[in-house]
Amino acid sequence: MFGFHYRLERKAIGLVVGIILVASIGGIVEIAPLFTIHQTVEDAPDMRVYTPLEIAGRNIYMREGCYACHSQMIRTLRDEVERYGPYSLAVESKYDHPMLWGSKRTGPDLARVGGKYSDEWQVAHLVDPRSVVPESIMPAYDWLSRNRLKTDNLGEDLKALRTVGVPYSEDMIANASSDAHGQAAPDSKEAESVVTRYGKETSVRPFDGKPEELTEMDALVAYLQILGRLTDAAKKPVATAER
Amino acid sequence: MAVEEKDRDPHTGYLTTGHEWNGIKELNTPVPRVIYFFLSLAVLFGIGYWILMPAWPTGRSYTKGLLGFDQRLFVTEDVKQAALDRATWTDRIEKESFADIQKDPQLMHDVRETGKALFGDNCAACHGRHATGGKGFPNLTTNSWLWGGSPEQIAETIKVGINSAHPESHTSQMPAFGHDGILQRNDIEKVVAYVRSLSGAGDASADDVKAGQKIFADNCSSCHGDDAKGNSETGAPNLTDRFWIYGGDPQTVYTTVWGGRQGHMPTWEARLSSVQRKILALYVADLRIPDHE
Amino acid sequence: MIGQLTKFERQTAMLILLALSGVGLAMAIAGRDDPFGVHGVLVLLYALAGIIFVISGFFDPEPGDDRFDRYNDDPTKAGIVLAMIWAAFALFVGDWVAWLLVNPNLTFDAAWSSFGRIRPVHTTGIIFGFGGNALIATSFYVMQRTSRARLPDQLSPLFVIFGYNLFCLLAVTGYFMGVTQSREYAEPEWYADIWLVVVWVVYFLVYLRTLARRKEPHIYVANWYFLAFILVVAMLHIVNNLAVPTSLARVKSYSLFSGVQDAMTEWWYGHNAVAFFLTAGFLGMMYYFLPKRAGRPIYSYRMSIISFWGITFFYMWAGSHHLHYTALPQWVQTLGMTFSLMLLIPSWVSAGNALMTLNGAWDKVRDDATLRFMMVAAVFYGLSTFEGSFMAIRPVNALSHYTDWTVGHVHAGALGWVAMITFGSFYALVPWIWKRDGMYSWKLVEVHFWLALAGTVIYVFAMWNSGIVQGLMWRTYNDSGTLAYSFVDSLVAMRPYYIARAVGGLSFLIGALVGCYNIWMTIRTSSHAAGEFMGDLPDPVLARTPALQAGE
Ligand code: HEC
Ligand code: HEC
Ligand code: HEC
Ligand code: HEM
Ligand code: HEM
Ligand SMILES: [Ca+2]
Ligand SMILES: [Ca+2]
Ligand SMILES: [Cu+2]
Repeated sequence: MFGFHYRLERKAIGLVVGIILVASIGGIVEIAPLFTIHQTVEDAPDMRVYTPLEIAGRNIYMREGCYACHSQMIRTLRDEVERYGPYSLAVESKYDHPMLWGSKRTGPDLARVGGKYSDEWQVAHLVDPRSVVPESIMPAYDWLSRNRLKTDNLGEDLKALRTVGVPYSEDMIANASSDAHGQAAPDSKEAESVVTRYGKETSVRPFDGKPEELTEMDALVAYLQILGRLTDAAKKPVATAER
Repeated sequence: MAVEEKDRDPHTGYLTTGHEWNGIKELNTPVPRVIYFFLSLAVLFGIGYWILMPAWPTGRSYTKGLLGFDQRLFVTEDVKQAALDRATWTDRIEKESFADIQKDPQLMHDVRETGKALFGDNCAACHGRHATGGKGFPNLTTNSWLWGGSPEQIAETIKVGINSAHPESHTSQMPAFGHDGILQRNDIEKVVAYVRSLSGAGDASADDVKAGQKIFADNCSSCHGDDAKGNSETGAPNLTDRFWIYGGDPQTVYTTVWGGRQGHMPTWEARLSSVQRKILALYVADLRIPDHE
Repeated sequence: MIGQLTKFERQTAMLILLALSGVGLAMAIAGRDDPFGVHGVLVLLYALAGIIFVISGFFDPEPGDDRFDRYNDDPTKAGIVLAMIWAAFALFVGDWVAWLLVNPNLTFDAAWSSFGRIRPVHTTGIIFGFGGNALIATSFYVMQRTSRARLPDQLSPLFVIFGYNLFCLLAVTGYFMGVTQSREYAEPEWYADIWLVVVWVVYFLVYLRTLARRKEPHIYVANWYFLAFILVVAMLHIVNNLAVPTSLARVKSYSLFSGVQDAMTEWWYGHNAVAFFLTAGFLGMMYYFLPKRAGRPIYSYRMSIISFWGITFFYMWAGSHHLHYTALPQWVQTLGMTFSLMLLIPSWVSAGNALMTLNGAWDKVRDDATLRFMMVAAVFYGLSTFEGSFMAIRPVNALSHYTDWTVGHVHAGALGWVAMITFGSFYALVPWIWKRDGMYSWKLVEVHFWLALAGTVIYVFAMWNSGIVQGLMWRTYNDSGTLAYSFVDSLVAMRPYYIARAVGGLSFLIGALVGCYNIWMTIRTSSHAAGEFMGDLPDPVLARTPALQAGE
């Protein structure tokens, strides 16, 4: 072995090829089968896609770096299930490009926070977390309710997402901007078609309490309120990849 | 090619490999046995673990391991077992009446112990860690209730929520008297003066209070009652105590009457089990501070 | 620097910079109402600064052929200075981030300074800005010495250094504006990712071309590690960053993979960024500077072989230990855990090899803070790899994951190993390369050492405590069989540890600032000993015609 190496280390190309070979194996064995083994991602016929407003909110979630403090992955451990609800399934982040499972819980897990609190609370908490939770160390995000949401390009976002595998229709792409407006303004004429396009489970509400203007707060709250609610698969009795 | 001169390191007694890179040499020290030993040990442990546990992909499936272990089945069992272990007291919570439970110190001990974290993780965000509320979120330690303060009524409120998505949700709304043009600005100022006087504020002129009383009787008493003590049928709060949901300063009360109010309390039916909700109702009822009218 | 370029190289540099400013201009125009435009302006300004710099020396006399008698250390000098600037910046931001968890109002009501935006500024600034510049700088230095060959040309190493810093700048300024892919340690958006690929390919070619010209028949261990660092980081970077941009005029892109496959790819990358950026690269650094400073031969050539290939092979399997108990299928977790345990052996073999090399030089360790930096680094390397393997065990990870324990582990590795080995190597290297007697003040090196050590110990102990307290509070059950603490209860319990950590971090930061000052003063004070032995053997014998190694 050392004799072989004694010769190998005299050739840069030998080392290069050796390193590439030795370093490739692990990744290939661990990643490739995740695409071929069917059980990896559970079947969930009721799985919905994010609306354009929710996608915009998700992008704000990433922009502000919420994932640095919040996980979205309830592990298969008793205390997590008892605190946060049913453990997370792979299918629940099937349309998450990228996933936001997170690696640190400076704040609580958010995988099932959708519907847990009211819109008013979410807004109050984001504007000034310590006004509702005095012990909180979460930053204040008050600019979100001042910033108007940019929606002109949402069609491009949906299109890119379709390229990577999210089943958005032509119709959804074409109307992305108007759907975003409609979802946060229940009495507007755009509101109706949001539900026709995205299903009656879709929440159409003035998320930030101001139906007359569409803010980044609308988008982020719409996203937070959908977390854990794209499918009910996790609520079924033992959801396991097997059996 | 350089001539390889192997020399002996005086300190360790080992030979060098004969190479030198800008003055750096290497000893050809043999690999200590213990390294091979530990390496084999680690690999053997790995192999053993692979045999027992799900481990290697096989294209369309993977090896399941002799133990048949699956983390999802395991946690499901674990949670179930824990529930069984708790059944000694949770069964009684489920079956017995609120009054009976409240009389049983041991059960109430369990309620307080469990209720604290349960309230902390689910309710404290709005009502505060000590249930004393905050702007927009009612104090739960008082004796004045929107929807009734018996443990049964509290349990119902927790289950269906207020103005929530639940089909049987409590629903309530305070009209927007100013915004919707029902009352004029100076009428609102007067009724605000009256309402504030009910809980002892003495900073308004007697005339205003008097005029406000009339306006109140015409517009407000249908919900808040003639005595303004609230009504747990409509969810209208008692306006005569010193507790406010939104605040009792003139500006805030004005805003309330001008713009109306509609608080939202989520439903907990899908999120918490009936036992958990019952525990919370008992816990909340137990928090009531006696001198809080 | 420009004086060392030939006329042709100066012209090429101008062309490259003009092309770059063209790209910047195009970006600025196309992305007018998007952060993309701001980055276009940044690229343009960066290129213009380069152009001014080149013009300032454009008409200097061309260098003589005597430059081939010396190693080319200009890129290394630039790299050292840049690394220290990034260190000061990123450690400052790190400590700021730490104080934010003590007092969240330290954002001063601005969006750019909130926790979620500046945390990646810290991680990228320190890993890529400080670590990356240090690795590129030392690798150029080490490669030339251990090959007895000069860098293949004057221009491409400069392209690597300055191109790489443009990448870091795009990354960090992007986070302030909220531009991020939110992939940990790979946050920069698609255009920065592509630019890094370009820079990295040139880096790799510089490396290969130098090795091909070497006059030592054998390639030294340090270079194995540097090679692995360059190659594997390229592999990881390309696969992990596969994404579809929404438009060529916007920053936003969506990753190719989603959900569970995305998680595995991200942590295959994330873990091996640790392995090949923060470990392999710095092992390369250690393998040169530690024996050199100690004046001792490497303890065992054979142990080097075992640890090198062990690390290269095992590490690549271990990424899934970041996803224990998650929706990632359990079989992948099993592989991640078992290979993490095996990984401990080669890791400790490296650490042991380093420490055994010091046998016979312990008196120097006692007296010489520079060598002591390297010794402590090897100890922390051993410690954090042990801790890592331990945390990779599923039931341990059940406790440690999501908590500050991970952060403690990270900084045992990052402060104790990565930063310490770098500071040690720099204190050795700076006098050699700038041809000074020694550092401006050895006392300040000593001060830096103790500030750094104290800071590290305080930081790590605080986080071990908070992490374990946090993990335990989350899973503590009371006698009734229900959860004993709410999340906010655990939050309140963290406060004293967060304060301690921020204080420890401050100590580490001050140490680094002392280091910056010392290095700066060393560079500024005039040469005393030019021409004497400066880290190189008396006569590097650089032949003017490169001798290709047989078989290359
Ligand atoms: C510095 C870390 C930090 C950052 C960054 C952060 N949070 Fe938080 N978050 C916390 C902490 C700590 C809590 C728990 C205390 C509280 O409720 O405020 C929390 C609580 C929450 C909750 C309530 C969760 C529950 O179940 O009680 C939500 C929702 C939330 N954060 C959303 C966000 C969003 C959205 C962002 C980004 C825009 C964000 N957070 C950024 C630390 C953070
Ligand atoms: C999203 C915020 C929110 C959360 C979380 C929340 N509540 Fe409430 N709760 C409210 C609001 C707002 C009201 C008052 C509604 C109104 O003003 O009409 C309320 C009212 C109540 C009432 C009725 C008080 C009365 O006077 O009749 C009870 C009881 C109560 N909450 C208990 C709970 C418990 C127990 C939990 C946890 C399981 C909880 N709440 C969680 C917002 C919340
Ligand atoms: C249709 C029924 C209704 C009528 C009429 C009504 N209220 Fe109310 N009022 C409510 C309800 C319900 C609430 C609680 C709102 C909530 O928190 O969701 C409330 C809340 C209030 C509050 C806030 C109490 C606090 O604790 O902050 C004030 C003040 C108040 N009402 C005053 C008035 C006055 C003055 C009038 C007449 C001008 C009036 N209300 C008429 C139903 C009514
Ligand atoms: C002054 C010294 C330092 C301070 C005060 C500091 C502080 C911090 C803080 C507060 C965090 C965020 C932790 C959290 O989210 O809870 C962090 C994360 C991190 N830091 Fe540092 N840091 C310092 C030095 C370093 C150095 C020298 C490195 C690397 C060479 C480094 C690498 C990292 C990494 C990789 C993370 C991310 C950890 C994770 O995601 O788990 N830090 N640091
Ligand atoms: C044998 C070697 C090592 C092993 C097996 C190992 C293992 C681990 C494990 C199990 C985690 C926790 C994952 C989680 O629960 O989220 C972790 C996190 C981490 N380790 Fe190590 N570690 C090793 C060495 C190192 C070294 C030398 C460094 C150098 C700095 C380092 C840097 C990190 C970082 C930055 C993280 C945080 C990742 C994140 O969550 O953002 N590790 N490591
Ligand atoms: Ca709105
Ligand atoms: Ca990236
Ligand atoms: Cu790892």
